[in-house]
Amino acid sequence: MLDFASCVMAGFTAPEEIGTTAQSLLLLLPVVASIAIVYKATKVPRVSACNFIKESVLLFGSIVIFMVITALVLSAVAWLVTG
Amino acid sequence: MVRRQLRENSLPFLFVVGLVGWIVPGGGYFLLKETKRALIICATIVLMFGVGVYIGSIGVIDPIGARLWYIVQLMNSPFVATIGRLTAGGGYPVFGRQNEMGQIYTSISGLLNLLCIVNSVYLAYVRKAEPGER
Repeated sequence: MLDFASCVMAGFTAPEEIGTTAQSLLLLLPVVASIAIVYKATKVPRVSACNFIKESVLLFGSIVIFMVITALVLSAVAWLVTG
Repeated sequence: MVRRQLRENSLPFLFVVGLVGWIVPGGGYFLLKETKRALIICATIVLMFGVGVYIGSIGVIDPIGARLWYIVQLMNSPFVATIGRLTAGGGYPVFGRQNEMGQIYTSISGLLNLLCIVNSVYLAYVRKAEPGER
């Protein structure tokens, strides 16, 4: 039991390997999900599973779509300027 | 007049709600008997903070080299200061993208907890001032 606890604790004392690849952008998704969940948890008048999940997913989707649109616009601007 | 008395009487309670919400994420809602809300918030914030510390190690909590980030990370819970004490000696160095991602995760979870503290205190205030409304 002590060995297991030590193993778990050791995982928090050394950083994980993250490359500077396009896949590392996916680390954005858990942050967006957390923001959507916590924000909706403070805003919905009554927390019921169905309503809460629906609201959170909608907010999560809107943030992701907005960020994708922003990224596309910025890419287009960069392409116009440098191309 | 009655409203002013209610406001004055509820100040210690509002303080307790805010304090408990800081010590345990979602604790303020728990005091207001919003158990589901409290559990969702607690699980999400603790998980997000845990993921941030796992990605970047406890070295992302740096009270000396990254003071502003540390202040925001402290919004998670005062227990973050305990980790800060461990890392203050520079024994857990972390650089680059891991540091960046760990700080983003832990700081955003701190800011989300601040939002929850403010919201739970406001909810407590509204309930005290207008007991029949909710």
